Parts: sequence; structure tokens; C-alpha cells
Amino acid sequence: MSIIEKVQYIWPEIAMFIATCVVMVLGLSPSLAIRRLCSPVCGAALVIAGLLAVMGPDTAPAALPHLMPYAKVIVAGVGLLLLLLLAGTVDREEESLIATGRARFNPLRTNRAEFYAFFLFSLTGVMLCASASDLIWLFLALELTSLPTYIMVTVSTRGRSHEAGVKYFFLGALGAATFLYGFAMLYGGTGTTDLSGIRQHFAEHGINSIAMLGLLLSVLGIGFKIAAVPMHFYTPDVYEGAAAPVSAFLAFVPKTAGFLAIMLIASLPGWGYGPVAGADGVIRDGLGAGASLPEALRLTLWVMAALTMTVGNVLALWQNSVKRILAYSSIAHSGYMLVGIIAGPVGERFIDNGLAAVLFYLLAYGVMNVGTFAVLACLEKSGGAALQSGARSTGLETGATTEIETVDDLRGLCRTHPAMGWTMVLCSLSLLGFPPLLGFMGKFPLFTAGIAAGEIPLVIVLGINSAIAAFYYLRLVAAPLLEDPSPASPPATPTPFPARPMAALLSAASVLILVGFAGVLMKQSAKAGETVVSPGHTAGRGASDGVAAWNP
Amino acid sequence: MLATYLPVLLILLMTITFATANLVITRLLGPSRAGGSVKSMTYESGMNPVGTARKRFNVRFYLIAVVFLVFDVEIIFLYPWATTFANLEPGSQDSAIWLGRIMFFLATTVVAYLYGWRKGVFKFD
Repeated sequence: MSIIEKVQYIWPEIAMFIATCVVMVLGLSPSLAIRRLCSPVCGAALVIAGLLAVMGPDTAPAALPHLMPYAKVIVAGVGLLLLLLLAGTVDREEESLIATGRARFNPLRTNRAEFYAFFLFSLTGVMLCASASDLIWLFLALELTSLPTYIMVTVSTRGRSHEAGVKYFFLGALGAATFLYGFAMLYGGTGTTDLSGIRQHFAEHGINSIAMLGLLLSVLGIGFKIAAVPMHFYTPDVYEGAAAPVSAFLAFVPKTAGFLAIMLIASLPGWGYGPVAGADGVIRDGLGAGASLPEALRLTLWVMAALTMTVGNVLALWQNSVKRILAYSSIAHSGYMLVGIIAGPVGERFIDNGLAAVLFYLLAYGVMNVGTFAVLACLEKSGGAALQSGARSTGLETGATTEIETVDDLRGLCRTHPAMGWTMVLCSLSLLGFPPLLGFMGKFPLFTAGIAAGEIPLVIVLGINSAIAAFYYLRLVAAPLLEDPSPASPPATPTPFPARPMAALLSAASVLILVGFAGVLMKQSAKAGETVVSPGHTAGRGASDGVAAWNP
Repeated sequence: MLATYLPVLLILLMTITFATANLVITRLLGPSRAGGSVKSMTYESGMNPVGTARKRFNVRFYLIAVVFLVFDVEIIFLYPWATTFANLEPGSQDSAIWLGRIMFFLATTVVAYLYGWRKGVFKFD
């Protein structure tokens, strides 16, 4: 498919790109009224991109033909929540200096234009990941997602965010180099960078060792984007160093891009492999003989999933900073979702389709994750570490406050700040997977898909980990709900940005209300998770009408 | 199979030979004089260096350099496009697409220019 034919699928991305250009110039205006237009323009772009994705073509000639509309709509939807949360993150100090007449607007000093432009760029990158039909395209889309986030982390606060940004950048470069090497090997092993071409090559000639090494390296490298073991080391430090709204962004956006990319990479060999006896009687891994990924890839993902869940959950138990707890929980959730990737599309029903489960879980995780980080972003306390380590001392009242940070700061929140306290309680329970909430709706199909695929040991690991997770999530629930406000720490005050509590309340409401629409959402994600049948596949896997779309 | 790499081997040998030969021949043929004040200068037959290399430059040159680099690279992309565009069949349907592509590319350059202008990069005061 030529790039010209491909344009019909990427209108949402084009709309976002145009908005990015507009925002980049608007944010540099000396007039406050025009500068303030940045986030409404971003919001409009996200709404338009979502609408274009819904109205656009429903089916593409790819391994996951219906993936694009669903993926782009959830990115736009959670993107809107994140946009509300990002209000006032970068230019609070500058704007307050200008408002009080103590400084003049200096376009070289301000970061607002770049910050919102990078926000849109990053989301555009995720959408492009969903549309990728080529390895080079996929690489560029993944990097378009990540490169802006390095800068967003660095400019988000003073002090620690610089360390976080540098750490994130270098480890990100390592991850990118790893999967780029994998992509190069895939090209070397199959002779094409086109995803459907590679699929065809695998189906006709099997997977040679170079291509297999390429698949493994790609998955490992993309593990950085989803914060999976062994590429998870940056997560707690970076999430802790960045401002809470940016941490929420990091936990959803690169993760979504990574999971979309892993789905595309895993769909190259497909889920139809199993042991088959060759002519010489030796048992090998063969296409069409079973219902799992090629054994080497399955085993790698299996070990990654089990370790990611366990490391994330166990290390989260020892943390006292809420952001670090949420960072480790973000690692653990990646492990849960990898179970869905390993299971793959076992059947057409939602509960049998691991990919659909992952797609649904991404939405659920995005919503509840924004809620927990929003509570941290909405409340601040006077004094704190940022003052001592702050690069510029301005002696301003805004510089003297820091985000609330430890579990102690959350104590008694349901009484002092009821809205925030209950948001924390609801979203933490949802992250835990407490039954009537959205998180449960997301986690349940991961279990059923794993069982349907016969991955019983992995499902047991998943179950044990969900139990471990209860310890630290219940701390986040008990502190605001049951405990008294801590007398030692200074009382938390709300930040002066009304958009942030709005994001928190919307997330908390979504955790409840989206449960009512779970049927519709599951239907949509089941459709998005459908795969076309590979030529060697046996019956009972994927939609049979996909054959026509498969062979262009 | 290995024969396809023969040119690479040849290039490698030529590189090594060229480098060593240059050193050896200079040693053999060149007159060897003791070092003088001119000989030990940074540029033996160039301009006289003035001052130290650790001089401070105005920080605004950094922005100019960055902007120059960006636009320079963008303009370089026009050359391969221009040579390929001239080879297109006259009146073919591709020409509109090709023109559209480069126009889109140039539009992004304009946005970059606008951004630089609003950011105050071109302001000298």
C-alpha cells in the first residue's frame, strides 16, 4: 500500500499535527488571552481527531484490521483527561510574575507553547503507532511518542525533574537502540520492512534465526516503553522526579504506544504455532500446529510478564512516596497486560481474546491512573524538598509549595478534601481490581483469555500478584478514608487550577460510569482485537472473513 | 558469497596502504629540520592564531547556529526532490502528489520560521 492510499487512515494524526503547529505559535504571544488558547486548541484537536477516527475507514488491510478507530479514540479520550490535568504545570511561576507586574513576558523563557505542542506530538505518535504498516513507520511513531516526553519531564518542575529527564532520556535511547536493532534484524531475516510482507514471509518460509532474534530484540526494546522488566529501572525515579500531571502522562501514553507496537510485532508470526513432528521425527515449532506464539517469543514474553508483575508489586510494598507506589504499580499493570498479549486472540468472543482484553485494559488503566495522579496534582503543601534543591530562588509564594507526596499526606483526605479523598479511594480500588469498578472489568478478561489460551501457570502468577497488590492499594484507600489527618505534616491546600480537580472528578466518575457502558466498550475492543487468519492457521482463531483483506 | 565482499577488502587494503605510504614517504623524502617558532604553530602555513581558544562567545550565536542548522538541513532535502521531480513523466498523475509532498514539507519549514520569529530568535538588541 502506497503512502498516498495510507493517507485516508491518518486524518486524525494530520489534524493533530496541524493543531500542534498552531499551538506552537499561539503559546508565544505576548497577550495572555492568546497564550491561554493553547489548551482549548489542544482539546479541540483531540475531539476532532477522535471524531475523524470514528468517521474514518473502519477496516484496514493489516493484521489487526479494526484496531485504528478504537485505539485512536481511547488515546483522544484519555488525552482530554490528561490535558485538563496538565493545566499550569510549566509556566505557573512565570505567569504569576507577569500577572503581578514583576516581570515582562519573555518568549525565550516561557515553555508553554513547547509543552502543549509536545503533548500533542506525543499523542500523535501513539495514533501513528496504531496506523503503522511498516517497521520504519513503527519506529518513527514510537520515537515521536517518546522524544517529546523526555523534554516534558525535564521542564515539568524545578530541581529533581532534570535528573529524571536525563535518566529517562539515556535509558530511552538504550531501549530505542535495542528495538531498532531488532527491526534491522527482522528486515535482514525477511528482506522487507513491510509488516504484511514480513507476515507473508513467515507464513511461507517459517521464521529463520535472524528474524527470531529480531522479534525478541524488538519486544525487549519496546519493553522500555511499557516499563517491563528488564527495562523498568527508570520508572520510579522518573515518575517521582516529574510533576504529577506529567507522571500520569508517562504512565499512559508511552505504555499505550508500546502495547500497540508489541501487538503489531507479535502479530507478525501470529498466534498459530505449536509443536509439530517433522519428516525426520524431530519435534519443532510449526505454524498452524497450535495456538500460541512461536515458542522462543512466547517464553520471552512469559518470563517478562511474570517478572514484571512480581517485581512491580513486591517493590511497591516498600515505598512510602505515593508516586513511587504508582510507578511500581504501573510496572505491575504492564505485566498484567502482557498476559493478554501472550494469550492472543484465542476465540472471537471478548473473554477469549487476549488482545481485546489488553485494549480494554489500556482504556481502564488510563482512566483510573489519571485519577490517582490527579489527586497528587490537585493538592500541595507549603515547604518541602523542592525549595532546597530548586535551581532558581525567586522568593515567591508559588515556589514555596510542593505537591503532596507521601502516604502520610493522604491521611484523612476524605474529611479535609472529600472530592480528592474519594477520588483516591475509588481509583485505587479500581487499580486493585475491586469487583464492581472499571479495573475489575478490565482485569477479568485477562484471566479468562489466559485460561482459554491454556496459560494456567501464568494466570496463577497473575492471581497471586493481584493479591499482593491489595496490600499497597489498600494503604492508599485506608489513608484517606480511615485515618486522621497527620498532625506532623502541614495541611494540604488545593492548587489554583480548576481544571485539575475536574480531571480528577471526571476520572473518578468514569471509573463508576464506564462500568455501565462496559458492554459497548467490550464489544468495540473485541472488534479492535480481531486478527485476520494467517494462511497456515487452523479454524477457530480469528475472523474467517479476514482472508480477503489479508492478501492484498 | 564471500567474493561479494572482495571490493570491501580492496577498499580496506587501499586505505591502509594509502595511510602508511603517506607517513613513510614523508619521512623518507621530506627535509627534516629542527622545530622553529613557525613550524610549531597550529596552522603552519595558515593565518596566525590570535588569543586563546577558550574565548567566550555571545550566547545568542547558539540560537543562530541551531536555527541555521535546522533550515540548512531542510533546504538540503530540496535537492534530491528537485532532481527526481525533473525526471517525472510530463503530465503524469504523480507530479501533483510530488508537488503536494514538498509543499507540505515547506509548510512545516514556514511553521518553524514562525516559531523562531515569535520566540525572538531573530531579535538583535
